[in-house]
Amino acid sequence: MTALVRAEFKKIVSTRLWWALLIGALAFSALQSLVTALFSGVDAGAGQPSMPGLETAEAIRSVYPMAMFSGTYMFALVLGITGMTGEYRYQTITSTFLVSPRRHRVVVAKILAHVVMGALYAVLGLLTVLVVGGVTMTARGYGLGLGADRLWPTMALSVAAVAIWAVLGIGIGTLIRNQIAAIVLAILFTFLVEPLLTFALASADLDWLVKWLPTNASSALMAPGDVLLDYLQWWTGGLVLLAYGLALAAAGVVLSVRRDVS
Amino acid sequence: MVREGKQVDIVGLTKMFGGLKAVDDLTFSVRPGLVTGFLGPNGSGKTTTLRCLLGLLRPTSGTATIGGLVYRDLPDPIGTVGASLEAASFHPGRSARAHLEMMAIGAGLDPARASQMLAQVGLSEVAGKRVGGFSLGMRQRLALAAGLLGDPEVLILDEPANGLDPAGIAWLRQFLRALAAEGRTVLVSSHVLSEVQQTVDEVVVLSRGRLVRQGTLADLESGPREVLVRTPTPERLRDVLTMGRLTVVGTDDSGRLRVTGGSTEAVGHAAFEAGVELHELVPEASQLERVFLELTNGGRE
Repeated sequence: MTALVRAEFKKIVSTRLWWALLIGALAFSALQSLVTALFSGVDAGAGQPSMPGLETAEAIRSVYPMAMFSGTYMFALVLGITGMTGEYRYQTITSTFLVSPRRHRVVVAKILAHVVMGALYAVLGLLTVLVVGGVTMTARGYGLGLGADRLWPTMALSVAAVAIWAVLGIGIGTLIRNQIAAIVLAILFTFLVEPLLTFALASADLDWLVKWLPTNASSALMAPGDVLLDYLQWWTGGLVLLAYGLALAAAGVVLSVRRDVS
Repeated sequence: MVREGKQVDIVGLTKMFGGLKAVDDLTFSVRPGLVTGFLGPNGSGKTTTLRCLLGLLRPTSGTATIGGLVYRDLPDPIGTVGASLEAASFHPGRSARAHLEMMAIGAGLDPARASQMLAQVGLSEVAGKRVGGFSLGMRQRLALAAGLLGDPEVLILDEPANGLDPAGIAWLRQFLRALAAEGRTVLVSSHVLSEVQQTVDEVVVLSRGRLVRQGTLADLESGPREVLVRTPTPERLRDVLTMGRLTVVGTDDSGRLRVTGGSTEAVGHAAFEAGVELHELVPEASQLERVFLELTNGGRE
């Protein structure tokens, strides 16, 4: 298994896609952090509630881990999806299955490798937001805020969350071989279906189901101790999110990976 | 060094795609130490058979084994079987060396094998270049390097001569002969007999998914040779030969009569006795290509 995981790392770093996605993730994280640090506590004008000021721990968590997560998770998801579907797209899956004819082992190796890649994206993203957010807050006359309440646990959990989104990508790509279809469906689900589902469930008095949706489970993971929203416990949220990824991958192994490769 | 070698056995192999029978109850064996040609026109089921053997396709029924084991159960697949497939595809943005390295690493081999194999197939100069810019011939060489990576006992090559220039084909011929001489099992498919004619010891001929002939090239060639004869009076010669118990089976592309039932001497003598003018009288050079076409076309109709 170690050999297969190392082979997966080699696959990832031997094409340029991971660089492009990393640059995208860092740029979005930086932008999110910059905007949050610039406008936190600024009066938004008539009738608009202002974001909490930078003296609050909540705002500082938004400038650092939350900004990194919202800038990075989609890129980690796409890295995961392409990590699987790219093999079918370029038919390198033939070489892969010749090396490892026991195909489920390939999926396990990809999950392990992409957990590490997701975590790497997240750590580099955190370094980026610490610089961008830190400079911006300092320029506005606030400190770096590194002692803010629950900042470091949230940072650690945001790394875990991004890593799990990469696993979700592998899961989706394992189930849906077509790269474009997999990416489009994943983005549609996250940005359209899930919000609509949330609304529909709430309207049907099924609010208790809402917190089990992937994005909300993900939010729960990064909000330890938050009681404002009806989230799962942070650790339950993390496990639920991971379970989605693993269930998709398992379904993919049964329904898709075993199929003929021609 | 001469190896033990492993035999490839295809037994009762059938593969259906939907309602279409791509391979139909196919049985044959490939012996170590020989180069075996796997011949048949495009669409006759060669690639499907090889992909079943490599565990990429699931047979509908029957088995395809290497040394008695299906590919999936081989303890060291890359070290046992090397494959270079027609559809061998590479990520266009990945270098030739990286492609081989990722395979070597996954198989637990020294990644340095990648550069050694590239040198062996003459791709050292482009080792670090992205495969997207490679010609078909270079891709074929890369696919061959991938097949050789694990120093396998069995080598399976699907249409390896496609895209190679004449010098490349000559090089491939020597290369395959050397591998077989080391005791390896070499199975090489082609839809063009002449490509592999000088390379193979044995042939397996496939048509519409069925085995139509297995044996040595000499077996395939055996049987009565035809005599080709040119005359300005073909009708007259036909009558004369028929009386002499020779048979005119037809006319070739250049208008020569194709005669069976006797040697050039018999044909020449009969013509001389009857006073028929002859302009050309030769034994057929090789029947191989014609036999191949007849075998494979016979199944197509």
